[in-house]
Amino acid sequence: MKYGDKIIYMEGVIVEVTDGAVGIDLKGRLGYLKIPMRMLITDYEIKVGQEVGFQMSFIEQLGPEVNEHYIHNHQNMAAETDPNES
Amino acid sequence: MDAGRSVMPSVRIKQPLVFSDGNAAGQSAASSLIAAGNAASGKAVAPEPKLIRSLTRKHYKITEVKRGPETRIDGTVLTIREGIEQEAIDSQPLVHDLKIDIITPDRYHTYSETIMDVQPIATKEKGCEVGSGVTRVLDGVIIMVTGTDDNGVQIGEFGSSEGYLDENIMWGRPGAPDEGEIFIKTQVTIQAGTNMERPGPLAAHSATDVITNEIRQALKKLDDESLVVDTEEFHQYRRPGKKKVIVVKEIMGQGAMHDNLLLPVEPVGILGAKPNVDIGNVPVVVSPLEVLDGCIHALTCIGPASKEMSRHYWREPLVLETLFDPDLDLCGVLLVGSPQINAEKFYVSKRVGMTCEALDVDGAFVTTEGFGNNHIDFASHIEQIGMRGISVVGLSFCAKQGALVVGNKYMTCMVDNNKSEGGIENEVLANNTLCPEDAIRAIAMLKTAMDGGDVKAAQKKWDPKVKKDNIELISNVTGKPIIPVKNETSLPISKKRLEKYS
Repeated sequence: MKYGDKIIYMEGVIVEVTDGAVGIDLKGRLGYLKIPMRMLITDYEIKVGQEVGFQMSFIEQLGPEVNEHYIHNHQNMAAETDPNES
Repeated sequence: MDAGRSVMPSVRIKQPLVFSDGNAAGQSAASSLIAAGNAASGKAVAPEPKLIRSLTRKHYKITEVKRGPETRIDGTVLTIREGIEQEAIDSQPLVHDLKIDIITPDRYHTYSETIMDVQPIATKEKGCEVGSGVTRVLDGVIIMVTGTDDNGVQIGEFGSSEGYLDENIMWGRPGAPDEGEIFIKTQVTIQAGTNMERPGPLAAHSATDVITNEIRQALKKLDDESLVVDTEEFHQYRRPGKKKVIVVKEIMGQGAMHDNLLLPVEPVGILGAKPNVDIGNVPVVVSPLEVLDGCIHALTCIGPASKEMSRHYWREPLVLETLFDPDLDLCGVLLVGSPQINAEKFYVSKRVGMTCEALDVDGAFVTTEGFGNNHIDFASHIEQIGMRGISVVGLSFCAKQGALVVGNKYMTCMVDNNKSEGGIENEVLANNTLCPEDAIRAIAMLKTAMDGGDVKAAQKKWDPKVKKDNIELISNVTGKPIIPVKNETSLPISKKRLEKYS
């Protein structure tokens, strides 16, 4: 990464809580983040509307290539998951 | 005779390497071998080991799995009843569809939804309970649970391992399939949006267990002893006069798929089990033989490379190595859940400390799976144990991506379970889980610490050379080579991994 050392303090608001994940709107209309519960450190019961803080860098493309694996997973599933023939 | 070990001809599970020969071979966390001393070198006659209980595994070989009118086992052929899928679906309101796919080795290059769990197919003989007596287990075949919700969202969302099976499985890890095995793979579709709620993953596991349980019943009916291809005996000994140790296993308890069903009636079953989340994640003492007999049905968390699936506990390397070590008195295994909120984490870790105090152990291993906020209670467990003057060794995937977020002065003896080249969660199933080579290092380290030896401080940055050096040092002292397991570089490389991690 070219700019990975540019760490910025960010804040967000919890907008969705499930048993396994939380959704976070980044303040300043800078995006949305959904993370597994265990990636969130909490001292209190988690509620929608609570504010969170974290550090992050800008996100950079790693290259021009398109990773077909991610794009075609579902097509692969449809094409290749044959019912068991035996 | 080595206490704890009787005739064990099988290689079905990873045989403990048992490096103890009276010398407490030590190692440091930073590449320097410490004392190879013999702390208990007094020549007084040690009390005889005391046999607590025994477990026998009878292995039945399966070479073919097919569908038919009835679930049955004929010789080495397992037949699964046609139409059982509908009963599995009907058993769970949240399950909308379930497909069974039988994956033979020639079909390993098949697309699969994310692998939620890998399970042995085993059952208890009449009158036996999990952890003792006789268990029957099928060799050459495993259950694999996979699934999505109605919208195609992976149940193990976040770092899921969907893709071609042969590119996403680290063969031969304790929790993973072995190359050559047949997979009975369920693809479960659950109600949209429930993939991140507790009932969703549980429903997928429960529906799959309808199928597994019918196979168990067929396995129970076998009365032809000639079908037993192998028999393993596990004996749990207490060894008075030896260093008393405990294995503390931190298991996930944040909710959703971060949950484990404890102590089912059948090995890795559902019936009779209690979710550790519902128990409040408090420590539960189990015997090492209960662990090896499937007392944990893991719903398994995120992080394919570092999660401990149900089969992992069935062949748990640290439990096996410690159980068979004639120089250690393993008093039990403590399972403790990892809750979400910090106050609850400290609540359970204080109970861990108090349990170790009450048991008066000399040493403790603390293991965890994956990384994230579970490292907070992982560190706290170590602190609670260490502050009582008990030697303690921690085992976790850390390396680069899973670096610990907290530490304390008692975290001086640490073993990293990383196997990946880059020190990351690389989405290859079970790649970074605890293996025998990690157990051996941990045991050597704990013996060193209990004997008052030094363990050097680790460098600030992850350096895979530390592990390599320590393995070499232990091998040199014991004269028994340790061959590290392979990692993802031994697999056909997927485009995903090539582009993402190279």
